Amino acid sequence: MTGVVVAERCSKWYGHVLGVSEVTWTLGGGIVGLLGPNGAGKSTLIKMMGGLLRPSRGTLRVYGEDPFDSVGVRRRIGYAPEHEATWDELTALELVTAMTRLAGVPAARAAPAAEAALDQMGMTPAMHRRVRGFSKGMRQRTKLATAIAHDPDFLLLDEPLTGVDPIARADIIDRIKQLGAAGKTILVSSHVLYEIEALTSEIVVIYRGQVLAEGNVYEIRALIDRHPHRIRIECDRPRAIAAALAAEDHVARLSFDRGGVIVETRDPDRCYDQLAAAVLAGGVVVTGLSSPDNNLGAVFEYLTGDGGAR
Amino acid sequence: MTEPHAASTVATLAAVTLKRFGRGKAPWIAAGLAALPIAYAALRHARAAPLRSDELFALMMLLVAVLPAMFVASSIGEEIEDRTSAYLWSRAIPRWAVVAGKLTALAPAAAALLAVSWYAAMRVAAAPPSLVSCGAIAAASVAASVVAAGIATVVPRHAMVLTICYLLTDNAVGALDFSFAGLSITHQAKLAAQFGDAPSPVGAPLLAMAGVAAVWAAIAVLRIRRLEV
Repeated sequence: MTGVVVAERCSKWYGHVLGVSEVTWTLGGGIVGLLGPNGAGKSTLIKMMGGLLRPSRGTLRVYGEDPFDSVGVRRRIGYAPEHEATWDELTALELVTAMTRLAGVPAARAAPAAEAALDQMGMTPAMHRRVRGFSKGMRQRTKLATAIAHDPDFLLLDEPLTGVDPIARADIIDRIKQLGAAGKTILVSSHVLYEIEALTSEIVVIYRGQVLAEGNVYEIRALIDRHPHRIRIECDRPRAIAAALAAEDHVARLSFDRGGVIVETRDPDRCYDQLAAAVLAGGVVVTGLSSPDNNLGAVFEYLTGDGGAR
Repeated sequence: MTEPHAASTVATLAAVTLKRFGRGKAPWIAAGLAALPIAYAALRHARAAPLRSDELFALMMLLVAVLPAMFVASSIGEEIEDRTSAYLWSRAIPRWAVVAGKLTALAPAAAALLAVSWYAAMRVAAAPPSLVSCGAIAAASVAASVVAAGIATVVPRHAMVLTICYLLTDNAVGALDFSFAGLSITHQAKLAAQFGDAPSPVGAPLLAMAGVAAVWAAIAVLRIRRLEV
């Protein structure tokens, strides 16, 4: 089997706690989103690919080699960890230059490469400032610069968008896309579906340490859409809305919840149309409309069958 | 891109370590501690009760228990505990280079500081010390630094405290009149500095210190090769 990453029945335990369970998976290339809720095993899988962790059982190979033991293969990997801790005493340029040197770039080329990477991440104005005083967004950009400065073939970005403001997020997404367009293989983890959708349509869904699904995000969405979709309507007369929708064949369940009604439907588009008609016909005042299913946890419950009756 | 030569990797890590160390509080605290024997010697001198050189040497051995731990154990321990080592483990470097880089930067710094402190305190107390005694203190400091590295890889969270405890115990063991006192770094330093009961050749104590350091270096390398972040 060929691929940038090939995992075969790969498991990782932390003592008695299972991090990743029997993962058999191949990463071909391009930008791929690793999607899963917190604690699903995303970071564990990424750390195994980055050579930070060794599988407890099974194998995981990157470019055909074990990244934990092979120094050579780690030259081809750029890793940006999830946590913020870094060498805060250094300036951004010193930090990225040192990391570039340690990735095997000769001394004469390390500083220019570091400057270029910081520039690519929009950090040129702050590159002579110490990392200690950086905001979360600046730290994320600096981390990304350390990951790309040595021009690796394979980038592992663990939650690169966590905690950054919306403007920085959009900017980082653009820069990651540019790297993907330049031919890098990029694995980006996130627990937020829309972040991943903004980056790529290829996703891998991981939950409770197992790869649950992989493929195009629309295929995953279709899988999700086979299950009832929940819509919560906050209004002054929830019973009137419930009465209008109760007889519809696509409605699987109706329930009342703190000044609102929750509709579970197998046909969200039809449901939204009929809901609008019911609101207009009944003169109902709607104060809120939301879909709890945008919460990723609910999606995973659907995919794993943990959603009970749904 | 080429695979970095081990020596240049160690040099890069040492340079970064020194830069980070120099920008923290540790050098100031260390300088303050290293000034204590000088201040004590000056005080005794002012009271017309000069310190004996072996008394001062015993005081220096307490500093040998503290400074290398402060320099090396905290540097390696915090790197592992704060997970900044995640950056290092994912780089194209052999893991032993991390320990080597830290030791290359910090062990000479601790040794130099202690030797200078000993030299200055002796100048104040009595007369300039022998080069051999300066070397013995520096050697003990280097050995203590390697011990600190070993302990930091095994118990990163409390590395500094545990190293100080270990080296204080080493001091106590070295003062005992048993054969296993030979395993004590401070005891061997005392012999090398010619503060033993009888004059002894310098080589044997230095070799003994090197032996203890080698055991801890092996522990550090074996442990760091298996460490996961």
